[in-house]
Amino acid sequence: MATSAPVPASPGGGGSHESGGEQSPRSNVREQERFLPIANISRIMKKALPANAKIAKDAKETVQECVSEFISFITSEASDKCQKEKRKTINGDDLLWAMATLGFEDYIDPLKIYLTKYREGDTKGSVKGGDTFAKKDVQPGPNAQISFDILFHLLVNNSHSLLIKVRSHKVFIMGILNLK
Amino acid sequence: MRQAGTYSGILSGGISGKTGPHLLPLARIKKIMKKSGEDVKMISGESPIVFSKACELFIKELTQRSWMVTMQGKRRTLNKEDVASAVMATDLFDFLVNLVSESGNSGEAPPSLGLDTFTSS
Repeated sequence: MATSAPVPASPGGGGSHESGGEQSPRSNVREQERFLPIANISRIMKKALPANAKIAKDAKETVQECVSEFISFITSEASDKCQKEKRKTINGDDLLWAMATLGFEDYIDPLKIYLTKYREGDTKGSVKGGDTFAKKDVQPGPNAQISFDILFHLLVNNSHSLLIKVRSHKVFIMGILNLK
Repeated sequence: MRQAGTYSGILSGGISGKTGPHLLPLARIKKIMKKSGEDVKMISGESPIVFSKACELFIKELTQRSWMVTMQGKRRTLNKEDVASAVMATDLFDFLVNLVSESGNSGEAPPSLGLDTFTSS
């Protein structure tokens, strides 16, 4: 595809249509910096709604802006805390603290679980069980950890024998999936 | 062999009932974090991961609250105004009020350029 060269917008000319293109042309580049991809946002929104629900494009865009604002809002609070404590790096716990402070207490528990899983998956998971999967991909780390979801969930409540059971079961499932 | 693979999220959705490990791109999250303040310089590796989940929860909550407004209006399409109403009605989303009302008002208003001699009504 030969993309046409950008037409210079004549400043003094009588191009009456040019005031119409209010947002689209340059926002593409900017959007990549400022927002999360709208397709991902849209997917999560759809999952939260009944199947017959429709979502207008402008609603998606608004939510997209809101999410970036949310990230900035939480990050700023966490960053302030780090500065006060004279630390340079914002970590996950700072973010959890900031969310709790700013009224998002309900997110804390699910996030802690998520984070615990990630941490365990990152260390134990990728060393012990990870080698089964590591052959397939260069980075087993964060991606592989979801495969250990069930494993760690059960690990918290149950004994080691179950762990082994689940692991072998898991390998079995992965085996099936690889065939497809 | 190249295939959709174990990690793509398409297949893992079948096992755990979730789609994929992270629904949102971590690099992008990190970029947005860095833009939120000049003193935000160092970000731990797990921070974007926390946000990937937090944003998911946030989007879900905002969407569901917006959808309640849509339903009250007996409509099937969630639109921008529903999101704005949900934000206004929820204390938790106070930090979004400016953003939502701004875009609500300036949606109609053209950018302040000297060009719009044709103000069609």
